[in-house]
Amino acid sequence: MTTEAMRSVQEFILGRNPKLDRLDGDFDLIDSRAINSLAFVEFIFLLEELAGEPIDPEDLDLDDFRTLNAIEARFFTQKAA
Amino acid sequence: MVVRDIEPVVLDLDRLEQMAKSDYYNPYTAFDWPEAIEADRPWMSESLTTLAGTEMWDELTRDQQLALTRYEAINFFSLNIHGIRELLSEVVMRIHERAYAGVSEFLHHFIGEENEHMWLFAEFCLRYDGKLYPAQPRLAAGSMDHLSPPARELVVFARVLIFEEIVDHYNAYMATDETLPRIAREINRVHHQDESRHVAFGRMMFTGLLEQVARRDPAEIPVIAEYLEDYLQYSIATLYNPAAYRDAGIPDALNLRRRALEHPARRAAHDQVLKRTRRFLNRSGVSVGGSAA
Ligand SMILES: [Fe+2]
Ligand SMILES: [Fe+2]
Repeated sequence: MTTEAMRSVQEFILGRNPKLDRLDGDFDLIDSRAINSLAFVEFIFLLEELAGEPIDPEDLDLDDFRTLNAIEARFFTQKAA
Repeated sequence: MVVRDIEPVVLDLDRLEQMAKSDYYNPYTAFDWPEAIEADRPWMSESLTTLAGTEMWDELTRDQQLALTRYEAINFFSLNIHGIRELLSEVVMRIHERAYAGVSEFLHHFIGEENEHMWLFAEFCLRYDGKLYPAQPRLAAGSMDHLSPPARELVVFARVLIFEEIVDHYNAYMATDETLPRIAREINRVHHQDESRHVAFGRMMFTGLLEQVARRDPAEIPVIAEYLEDYLQYSIATLYNPAAYRDAGIPDALNLRRRALEHPARRAAHDQVLKRTRRFLNRSGVSVGGSAA
């Protein structure tokens, strides 16, 4: 499930950034503008759907979204416990 | 803030300023707010809801359909409030910049009127639904930092214009939709009236600033066009709020939202909403996608 979800996350980002051909786990998605302000809302909805948990728009920590590694750790791992 | 490296914007705004004065009304006293509004009427025109024209609409019970019109009306007004608030703050920062001295008289009208619009929409939402939907999350990071000063100014005013034109498409229709409760119709009607001045002003600003960009570095125009196309799509997508689907008792809101956004009937509806704006941008020389060419 985790791998599949992370693949969807990657597809979303690569699909919107034709100039990128791969994404490293520590690549900064926000500073690089791979996810810009206009794509951010869609990205949040995608993560909510994949993780099956709501994300409160008024209580976001940007660092949870900054890299693929951070996203995986925040949304797709610790809940296994 | 100091807006550097842009030339003074000179526009003939006499007529719009006169109209702003003669059309002025006191929003705090101009409306007769009923205690409650009819739950058996749509609060937003059914044909303007985000599921209109799809099988997803047909599959809803009548109660769900009516609930969807109520929550999408609240969402539409909430988007107005947050959208205005954000764009207004950009305008407030600029009102007495030297480059905008020639338009500051009109900007005073604009700021005053937008503040009143925010109050009007919030009053409706709070009175009849007890809430606003929260603003969507945004990244503060400036994705425009790589552009020249006039290009950045152009983008600021272009976003105001696009936002106002999209909203106006909905207002203009609902202003005369007899199926709506009177108060909902009235709010749409007065907003449509005020926004016709803002849109006329916004188009003049856009043209003036675009000339400056074109003189300085025409290579920036396609970059701006790409951003504005994204902004058009983004603005449309904000109308599809999963929280409104959930409040209307419709399950699987995120999946529904995704399916609705991609639905051919909805794509055709988006083209209708954006048609006039796309035509204006394309004719100005800023080529945005135009399935609605
Ligand atoms: Fe307004
Ligand atoms: Fe306006």
